[in-house]
Amino acid sequence: MIRSGPAIYFDGKTSTRHPVTVELDNSALAVKSADGRLLARWPYGELEQTSANAGVFRIGRTGSDALERIEVRDPGLAHAIDLMSVPVDRTGLQQRRGRRKVVLWSMAAVVSLLALGIYGIPELATRAAPLVPYGVEKRLGQAVDLQVRAMLDPGKKGDAFVCGTAESEKAGQAALVRMVAKLETAAELPIPLQLKVVRHKQANAIALPGGYIYVFEGLIDRAEGPDEVAGVIAHEIGHVANRDGLRSLLQAGGLAFLFGMVLGDFVGGGAVIFASRAILRMAYSRHVEGQADTYAVGLIQQVGGDPRALSTILTRITGTKEPSVRVLTNHPATPERARSIENVTRPAIMRPIISAEEWAAFKRICGGTAATPAPKAEAGSPLEKAAGE
Amino acid sequence: MTAINAGGPPPVTSVPAVPGAPGAPGGPSGPGWGGPGWGGPGWPPPPLDMGVPRFLGRDGEFFGLLLRGALLLMVTLGLYRFWLTNDIRRYLWGHVEVNGDGLEYTGTARELLIGFLMAIVLLLPIYLLFYVAALMPDLIPYIGAVSFIVLALLGQFAVFRARRYRLTRTVYRGVRFFQTGSAVRYSLLSNFWSLVIVLTVGLAYPFAAASLERYKMRHTHYGDLGGQFVGSGWGLFARGILLWILAVAPLAAAVVFTVISVDWLPVLQTLLSLDIAKISALDENDALALAVGFVLMAAGWGAFAGLIFYPMFRAIVLRWWVSGLRMGGVSAHSYFRNGQAYGIYFRFLGYAMLFGIAASVVGLLLAGLHSVSVRDLKLSSEAGEISGIVLGLIGYVAMMLGYSTIFHTIVTFRFWRLSFEMTQLWGLSALDGVVARGEASSALGEGLADALDVGGL
Repeated sequence: MIRSGPAIYFDGKTSTRHPVTVELDNSALAVKSADGRLLARWPYGELEQTSANAGVFRIGRTGSDALERIEVRDPGLAHAIDLMSVPVDRTGLQQRRGRRKVVLWSMAAVVSLLALGIYGIPELATRAAPLVPYGVEKRLGQAVDLQVRAMLDPGKKGDAFVCGTAESEKAGQAALVRMVAKLETAAELPIPLQLKVVRHKQANAIALPGGYIYVFEGLIDRAEGPDEVAGVIAHEIGHVANRDGLRSLLQAGGLAFLFGMVLGDFVGGGAVIFASRAILRMAYSRHVEGQADTYAVGLIQQVGGDPRALSTILTRITGTKEPSVRVLTNHPATPERARSIENVTRPAIMRPIISAEEWAAFKRICGGTAATPAPKAEAGSPLEKAAGE
Repeated sequence: MTAINAGGPPPVTSVPAVPGAPGAPGGPSGPGWGGPGWGGPGWPPPPLDMGVPRFLGRDGEFFGLLLRGALLLMVTLGLYRFWLTNDIRRYLWGHVEVNGDGLEYTGTARELLIGFLMAIVLLLPIYLLFYVAALMPDLIPYIGAVSFIVLALLGQFAVFRARRYRLTRTVYRGVRFFQTGSAVRYSLLSNFWSLVIVLTVGLAYPFAAASLERYKMRHTHYGDLGGQFVGSGWGLFARGILLWILAVAPLAAAVVFTVISVDWLPVLQTLLSLDIAKISALDENDALALAVGFVLMAAGWGAFAGLIFYPMFRAIVLRWWVSGLRMGGVSAHSYFRNGQAYGIYFRFLGYAMLFGIAASVVGLLLAGLHSVSVRDLKLSSEAGEISGIVLGLIGYVAMMLGYSTIFHTIVTFRFWRLSFEMTQLWGLSALDGVVARGEASSALGEGLADALDVGGL
């Protein structure tokens, strides 16, 4: 076997090229200048191959701050050094092994980060939400409220956006106040509700952070009894009580961080980020809606209403069709919701939430809406919780 | 930042490799491109002091590296980017040979990963602050502008620090490059110039480029040799002004014309009234309609001309930049030709088109296969749709990564190669006996650049 040969040595102190002879002894590699002086002696255990052009075998010394280098162009000598030194690995076998490990670890990290997205973030948001003072949530609600109103309010002249302000609507407004007061007392919320009926044709209602609730005119048009509206309002109160608006804001922030900065940062990754964020948010939302339904049932029972009215109005508005792609909806399927509402319900002594006269007035809270034909069922789900999203 | 980051700027940030240019004693008027002038009996042998760097990389190998990297990026949702970036740099650096000795890239993926984690820790409170502030009604009007400014400053800070990292990981003959200078000052300077460029509709670009390059090169060192940039803003201005006139000037003129010719007061009042009927009646304002027409036409032409002239622009900037680089006594001159830039982009277009056709065929086949298997396996419509969405997503990502791989194999790789091989260096003897200085720096800048998406190669 070759024990010595020519090489180029860079001592790491200057850029001078030293043509040298490399000699391999039993424990180390000796670098000798043309006149036979020993320039360096590197134990085999400290050699490491560094990147170089094909045809050049370049080695450095592990752990050395200086960038000393030996370059060998003779393949025979390079092979001999490779045989003597354990760390040197010219076939790249160790590197490939190391890389396989990296890929496996990365995939494990992806799995655990996804789990964090699916289970960890909602859990964290749930834990963190109660720590946010109500004062902060209220101010936050104001901010979201401004945006949502700008979105919903078409800004047409004529009727005010909020119903119940005109003279003919006063009686309806009084009925609403009575109904809400009953529910609010039973609910014992830590923040006051800001509930308004607004002129919007969609059969829907939304809750924002900070106790803001909007019930749309379209929903009242389609309601056939006070318990139905009360059920929907109770569902929205459930969002307020569970601080769902705040939770979803916290979740959105966590997801944006996870799927924007840590994962998905590559060409085409934008689509992955978008899809996973959308699907995860929908999943959180479905879970939260189910909870709000349960809450609504309990609240309505407490005030002596008919909890099943909520499932009646849900079914009337959306029909019984199952959605085609379940992962892309933010509410559970209506039949599923209706079933679970009826499951929770136990018969109770029923008392009317508001009287028949009050209900008749309530139906006119948006001024003679009884004359306008009821709008067709909206494609979107009712009881949307548009918590500032 | 992304290892694969289509459409990035020329590899300006990786300066160290190519020092030198003309202008100085023995500029282009002196010795030519391996031409006459040398070989007289009294002359010293030229190869010692002048030469052309070589790049020994092969595009097939590079393509293999990128392709494997793209697949791993997909399965790791991008976490593999640190390793891929490092491999790419090792490949590109490691195959450059100057005066017979190769460059070496000594960075590691682990450093990049740690830099990224450090950056996250640093950025998290800042993002949190923005997030909370965005929810405060009183702060909403300001939060957009403030976060834009903060992120722009941080981004350029990261660019400078990332360059420092790359330089200190670039080793030649056992001596490293390094960078001094303040990233804060660079960031202020760079953002100041960005503003000026916008305000002058691009006319200030040459002066901005020259100023920033001077700052970077003045603080670039190879051992005890100091770097310098001698290219002048006016030099680039003179070479590029024709392109500006052809592509950008019509748009600038149309905007100026609009501002002058239209009586803005009533128009603004109408717009602010938010009355749909009145706003749609603005159609009848002839001066406005004419001006808007001009702007649209000029913008369309600008986009078209920009596309046509972009390769020439890159060639001009590359020549100007390389020819302005100095490192100690070493100077450079680039002979990169416009035609070479066009060749590269046409080649890319050709391959991209072939890939597009092939990908569409494969996509259609897969879609057909999917619908058949949904029917035959009697999958529920839900399972069918979900698997369809997942397949579509994978297809989209594969497509984008494919284009990006082709882009880097052809455009990035060839620009890199030619920026060395079309460069003549003088004064190479200055590279002998350089005394090592400087220390390896942390990869925090790289991590920040990654997190803020301002990274380059």
